[in-house]
Amino acid sequence: MNFELLAQLTITGIVLGSFYALMGMSFGIVYQTSKIFHLANAIPFAAAGFAAVWSAETFHLPMFGAFIVGLVAAVIVGLLILVLGYFPLINRNATLLSLFLVSLGVTVAFPNLLQIVFGTQNKTLQVYGADGTLNRAFETQVYNVGFLTITQLDIVKIIVCWLVVLCVVLFVNKTRFGRSITALRTNPTMAAAVGINSKVVYIVVFAIGSLIAGMGGLFVTTEFVAYPTMALQWTLIGFIAVFFGGIGSLPGTALGGLLLGLLSSWSSVWLGVQFAPVVVFGALFIILLVRPQGLFGKAAA
Amino acid sequence: MNRMRMGRTAVAVGVVAGLSGLLAACGSSSGSGTSSSAAAASTSAAASGSTSASAAAGTCINEIFGAGGPEAGQGVTIPAGMLLAVTGQGSFFGKVMSQGALLAADQIKEAGGMDYQITVADHKSGDVPTAITETKKLIQNGIEVLQTSYGAPSEAIIPIIQAGGVLTFNGGGSSPAQLSQDYLWMNRMVYAEDPAPGALAWLHKTYPDAKKLALIGTMENGVGTFKETAPNIWKKLTGGEVVAAEQHDVGTTDFKALAQKILAANPDVVQTFSFGDDLGYQVKALREAGYKGPIMMDEFTSQAAKIAGSAYEGVNFGVDFYTPANPNPWNQCYVKAYKAKYGEDPEYYGSNYYEQVFIVWDLVKRVIKAGGDPTDAAQLQAALIADPTFNSVYGGDATTVGKVTLDTVDHSISKPMGVFVVKNGQPELIQEIVKIKAGEDPNSALK
Repeated sequence: MNFELLAQLTITGIVLGSFYALMGMSFGIVYQTSKIFHLANAIPFAAAGFAAVWSAETFHLPMFGAFIVGLVAAVIVGLLILVLGYFPLINRNATLLSLFLVSLGVTVAFPNLLQIVFGTQNKTLQVYGADGTLNRAFETQVYNVGFLTITQLDIVKIIVCWLVVLCVVLFVNKTRFGRSITALRTNPTMAAAVGINSKVVYIVVFAIGSLIAGMGGLFVTTEFVAYPTMALQWTLIGFIAVFFGGIGSLPGTALGGLLLGLLSSWSSVWLGVQFAPVVVFGALFIILLVRPQGLFGKAAA
Repeated sequence: MNRMRMGRTAVAVGVVAGLSGLLAACGSSSGSGTSSSAAAASTSAAASGSTSASAAAGTCINEIFGAGGPEAGQGVTIPAGMLLAVTGQGSFFGKVMSQGALLAADQIKEAGGMDYQITVADHKSGDVPTAITETKKLIQNGIEVLQTSYGAPSEAIIPIIQAGGVLTFNGGGSSPAQLSQDYLWMNRMVYAEDPAPGALAWLHKTYPDAKKLALIGTMENGVGTFKETAPNIWKKLTGGEVVAAEQHDVGTTDFKALAQKILAANPDVVQTFSFGDDLGYQVKALREAGYKGPIMMDEFTSQAAKIAGSAYEGVNFGVDFYTPANPNPWNQCYVKAYKAKYGEDPEYYGSNYYEQVFIVWDLVKRVIKAGGDPTDAAQLQAALIADPTFNSVYGGDATTVGKVTLDTVDHSISKPMGVFVVKNGQPELIQEIVKIKAGEDPNSALK
């Protein structure tokens, strides 16, 4: 056993798992509240990346200015999907399957739309320097701590992801509006009876989910590039984190994401890295067999 | 109780299978809904705006390829198909490949040659079942020539193109399994296999103390080179060994764990047979993991370079490499027309598909001259076998057009190859290399 490699892979797993947790929170808060299998959560993810790249080049914005534009774009796109795509169907008492099909349709169409508008080339987030030239917005630093290596961006990623997890969990559990979300999730009929406006709750929840997805898109764009199909793999990871960690438990979703990241990373010690998806899905399969409600989920009464 | 368990199992299997399928689909090509007809329509639209650029290039094409007219195929329509990555992660490749072929078709028509009518079909960045379906559709629509791409889809369609008698060229994912196949010709050196001896010999010459080699590859293209050719050559050259050999899925973006495994093996040099955007993610991960030694790749694309950023500086690659700066008169004519039409320099893949259309034109002219039917793919192939040498935008010099020769036995090609280094984001040739036969001294691959 190579302990140095294991330690390094643990660091990698924490970084990866933190991002999985972020994606899990994004999908989880929407799914747990609305029960909509919101595959289209991929759209705000990509929209944030492309909006940031476009605004930095068009309006000469600094990196953080471009991030804000990206996040606003993510929220707007997420709410447009809700208002134009889901609400008309919800108003007609459409089934969850119908809502899923709408979600699937826009998820398939959006990357093609991005290709038509922005082209097929990878888009680097670039900002204008003092000399008027466009340069890559962020080149990460690499830190060596003993035999361990971690990048500056990885550290930022861990901190931001867990801060977001903490904020969402506190918002849902400790605020009045958060309790409305919980009420709607646990008993929609009773929630309506006590005057909770489900549409308002949905709007807030979709805005939060889209904002978090947008953060994910900005991380990927900053570290690498933006490209039309950049989002779906991370959105699916979010689904897996929810089912793995536990439906109905946002902290469980976050921990599920972290565990998946660690499992995926550790598995490469003994198996080739190409087997990481097999390990992840194998773990999900076992968890669903043994605990259908997920690792930290609560069994239905 | 048993029914409950079965229910749970069914739910678990369903959820896992569903998510696996979606993840797999997204790995190969997410969000791909463009039909071949839609793709064809869009490329035709792109072509329609090109007349002025082509007309400007018309004169130089006639200077190189001779006068137009009935003997040059004027009035002959060649229905052709392209099987490309129009959507999905490899859509960049589909775009540049179709751009190259469409420009060639325009230039040839303007120069008084054949009317090469292209329909573009989408294999969604390497999806084999889609490639088979789309190829069948193209053949049903009567294509005579097919320009295919990627390794796995091109291997899968071999029986279909042979049964349909369609003259096919692959300038992208060439592979050993496509060698010696009737109707299928490759105008790219065999991926990984052909440049590997020269690339490894250059590594040995440049880093004579290097003994420990790490290999990275996909599970699709270059597998034979990854598993057998490269380890054998390295042992022959250095007496050293392969200390790490890691494979990954095509389309992987997270290479951190792989990079750490490579680093843990403490290699002197790394050779990767990955391709496309994967290389950008991979090199970035290797450098960020702390690997500072030489990295030899098998191709260079501006797309991957964008992903890697500064991590690409100093990285090497060995390939049959195209350069717009080549003063070869045809190449300069091509570069000028390409820039006028698309506003950018042509690159490697687009150039291969551009050349393919000119090979077809040459064959059409030969068949007409011999009194045959230029719309018969069998006759075109017979003309190719009779004389497999063609003009090329590769090689040559300021006054001479380059030449390439297809191998009439294995249907591969011989082209100028080189080892390059990335400097200031651009490739720079540092060593010319040549293809060698199995069993030959790998050092003889260095020119």
